[in-house]
Amino acid sequence: MQRENLAVPVKLWALGCTIIGISLTDDTILTCVLVMAGFLYLAVQRNWRLLQSFGVFYGILAVLLYLIRNHGLHMVLFSEFYVLMFWNLFAVFLVGWDLITTPPGELSAFMSRIHMPTSAILGLLVMFRFFPTMKAELKNVWCSMRNRGLTAPAQFFLHPAESCEYVLVPLLLRCLQIADQLSVSAVARGAEAPGRRSSYYEKSMTLKDWCCFILWSAVTVLFLWKGGMRI
Amino acid sequence: MIRLNDVSFQYASGLGGVSEINLTVHEGECLVLTGPSGGGKTTLTRLLNGLAPSYNAGKLTGTIFLNGKSLAQTPQFALARQVGSIFQDPKSQFFSSDLAGEVAFACENYGLPGEEIQKRTNHAISAFSLDDLRFQNLDVLSSGEKQKVAIASVYALRPNIYVCDEPTSNLDREGSRQLALILKKLKAEGCTLVIAEHRLSWLRGIADRFVYIRDGKILWERSAAEMEHLSAGQRKADGLREIIESRNMNVSFSMNHGDKRPILCVTKLSCKRKKTDVFCDISFSAYAGQVTAITGHNGVGKTSLALVLSGLWKEKSGQILINGVKMRPGERRKQIWYGSNDTGTQFFTNSVTEELLLHLERSEERLERTRSLLKRLDLYRYKDAHPASLSGGQKQRLSIACGILSERKILIFDEPTSGLDGGNMGIVADVLQEEAHMGKAILVITHDEELIRCCCDCLIKIDEYGNRA
Repeated sequence: MQRENLAVPVKLWALGCTIIGISLTDDTILTCVLVMAGFLYLAVQRNWRLLQSFGVFYGILAVLLYLIRNHGLHMVLFSEFYVLMFWNLFAVFLVGWDLITTPPGELSAFMSRIHMPTSAILGLLVMFRFFPTMKAELKNVWCSMRNRGLTAPAQFFLHPAESCEYVLVPLLLRCLQIADQLSVSAVARGAEAPGRRSSYYEKSMTLKDWCCFILWSAVTVLFLWKGGMRI
Repeated sequence: MIRLNDVSFQYASGLGGVSEINLTVHEGECLVLTGPSGGGKTTLTRLLNGLAPSYNAGKLTGTIFLNGKSLAQTPQFALARQVGSIFQDPKSQFFSSDLAGEVAFACENYGLPGEEIQKRTNHAISAFSLDDLRFQNLDVLSSGEKQKVAIASVYALRPNIYVCDEPTSNLDREGSRQLALILKKLKAEGCTLVIAEHRLSWLRGIADRFVYIRDGKILWERSAAEMEHLSAGQRKADGLREIIESRNMNVSFSMNHGDKRPILCVTKLSCKRKKTDVFCDISFSAYAGQVTAITGHNGVGKTSLALVLSGLWKEKSGQILINGVKMRPGERRKQIWYGSNDTGTQFFTNSVTEELLLHLERSEERLERTRSLLKRLDLYRYKDAHPASLSGGQKQRLSIACGILSERKILIFDEPTSGLDGGNMGIVADVLQEEAHMGKAILVITHDEELIRCCCDCLIKIDEYGNRA
């Protein structure tokens, strides 16, 4: 089912609320209230994939926290500190991840609306394209190395510097080439045009957006009121 | 109308350019720029869309007029609204990971009202039959689909002039046919088309005039009718591709292999990636001494098949036998070479020679074979050049040379002639045949029917239901 993203201002407000909530709260364990609100917020947007993966991770954290508190569990690699840190910050991760996985077009529409300069908007769009493009390139480089027999363990251990060079040289060259092609593509499609940039995704706040806005405000106030504040 | 008066352009790097160009492109005309790779076609398209000298620095003399106004007085962003540019490689030109965002990109840059952008974007998506891809990530589309998206993104801005640089290099026959229909429609709407292209047959019925450029100069101009009467000898002398598409393959694909045992035997092979079936139940055999073509629509799974065969991906089910022995992916990698269609990430060393001899023993015999292969593929003068400095066509030939020198018995090449002119395509076809006659089994994934006619002995067609030989 298609994801139905809330407006970007609501997403930013949700992120602000979770940051304020976990920064001021006196009761770390009670941050689960914010996390539950976060799960509801993902469900409203039909972001089932994120809901599923974060839900499983939160469940594991809950089990680990229970074992640490009641059975004295102690792990070497993922110590109590990390478990508590993730538990505490989970609401921020959840809302933050939802924000950065918003389609870049919707983010750029919001940036246009608040009159951000075109160069900043294009910079953001390029940044969002950079990671998937480089991931695909890295996959291609690795595939070529395997095809040419350059990934054998003996090769890696006997010539580590050479192996690194094999990965880095084509990757950096592709990086330059992609940067050039992206610039040409932008210039040839009017990226240098003066004036305010508009957007396909331009949309105003809907009733659902306002409801989520009010819900986050109310949950944060209630959470700080009941859980206590540390100022 | 576009008019070039005594135009010369030399790149700041000192390499390449065009000189003494006098050319007029009339409104509503379709002009095709053709000629050998590196002859100056791309430079001329860059002069028309203003990228040279505004983006690609260099020295420009002479004057280019667009509708009577000098291009030198027109800012790049204003020119880009009148002249739409379609490039060769669409995959690294996207600014969005979703279809609508990408198609709308140019309209957004010009600040068109939101409703107008939505109208134009939706119309462009429908016009190019891209509705089914609306909710797909652009990164997972096939190269043909990506090219369609790139063209749709220009179409949404509705420029009067379209400048295309080898737009079909990643398209199959059906993709080229669809592109031809779109260009016909644009032409009927009164748009002017300038197309730099090696493959000429798909332009039949669209092109009005052909301009031949070599060494940066226009050597001749011919009308579409004159081109159709060009003799095969003249065509070959100028290194041109077919002008009229042959109605049939005109080769007899022999299915009788006598009592020869296949070197590669594939039975009921299937592949699944991320819960999606890429291809199912493919069965075929390949024989030493033969060049086998693998063809099929864009996105049907040809490249995935090659990756599975060469052990770079794992199969879901089925059997791959090499010389009658079932082999695991790791073992197949030592027996089968895969030459990707993306040459950007295939080279690892600092020179062409180093690349060819990477991890190979440097015996006198091998060095001699390397030298003769470089000469055969017209790469000998670049033997000390960095692979990254080569042109697209030269990289493709270097990739083929690497495969041949790998001494593996089965070689798979993915679209080895997509950016090659007629002359170089002929050379590659000859080299592939020679290697097959030396006892190798060669599989070529291609949409290039001219290449199939030139050198292939067998044809395997893959469709959504498997393969048919």
